[in-house]
Amino acid sequence: MIPLSHFLVLGAILFSVGIFGALTRRSAIGILMSIELILNAANINFIAFNKFLGSPDGLGQIFALLVISIAAASAVTGLVLVIAVYRNTKNIFADKMNLMKW
Amino acid sequence: MLRAVFYLIAGLTIFFSLRVVISRNIFHSAIFLALALLGVACVYLYLDAEFLAIAQILIYVGAVVTLFIFVIMLTASIQDRAIRQANKQVLLSALSALAFLFLFVKIIRNNHWELTSHAAGVLSIEQLGRSLMTVYVLPFELISLILIAVLVGAIVIAKSEKK
Repeated sequence: MIPLSHFLVLGAILFSVGIFGALTRRSAIGILMSIELILNAANINFIAFNKFLGSPDGLGQIFALLVISIAAASAVTGLVLVIAVYRNTKNIFADKMNLMKW
Repeated sequence: MLRAVFYLIAGLTIFFSLRVVISRNIFHSAIFLALALLGVACVYLYLDAEFLAIAQILIYVGAVVTLFIFVIMLTASIQDRAIRQANKQVLLSALSALAFLFLFVKIIRNNHWELTSHAAGVLSIEQLGRSLMTVYVLPFELISLILIAVLVGAIVIAKSEKK
């Protein structure tokens, strides 16, 4: 039996890697990928807590399911925005998008 | 044996996610993202969440990563290797990410979780669907509303404006 804390540490490592990626990536697609990693880390925590100290009706698993759907929706919205921005400015780098500054 | 496989999978998942973040070629990042998500699905299997593991593979590896790859191909001129992929804050970001990790590990180590016994039983897919359709039916319906909104919004935004 693998203890709960090992799952939590795995989730924490994935979260930190995702934070690093979201902060350092220049392209918007890379930032979206890092956000997917962060959401997966949260999901690991939800399911681990559900297994080790959760309620019997499986609230943690249901929440993880909802997080997966929201993550898919956010990925679709973000990628569509990337395509729209690329069509208008021929550029997907987040540090070059300053259309709405000033 | 099963434990050793778990630590192997966890290590591989961390390795793949690191490659997602630091790969120079964004296309390789997408492929490594698929592998990392597969690793997370295997971790779900260790937590007795079979349905979520299958859903993860179907939705993430099947749909989301494919979408990422399509968008990378559509914005193709960006993916040559010469362009710098990371911005100027690499050192600062690494420092803050490591600080986060240190904080999390400290919290996890200092907290003694009280494990309940009733949660040790395996949650069957039937139970999951039953509680999704009775107790948690409101968030379920809200999710379908959000998905429809995203569907319509994506079509409207991505539609080309030339008539």
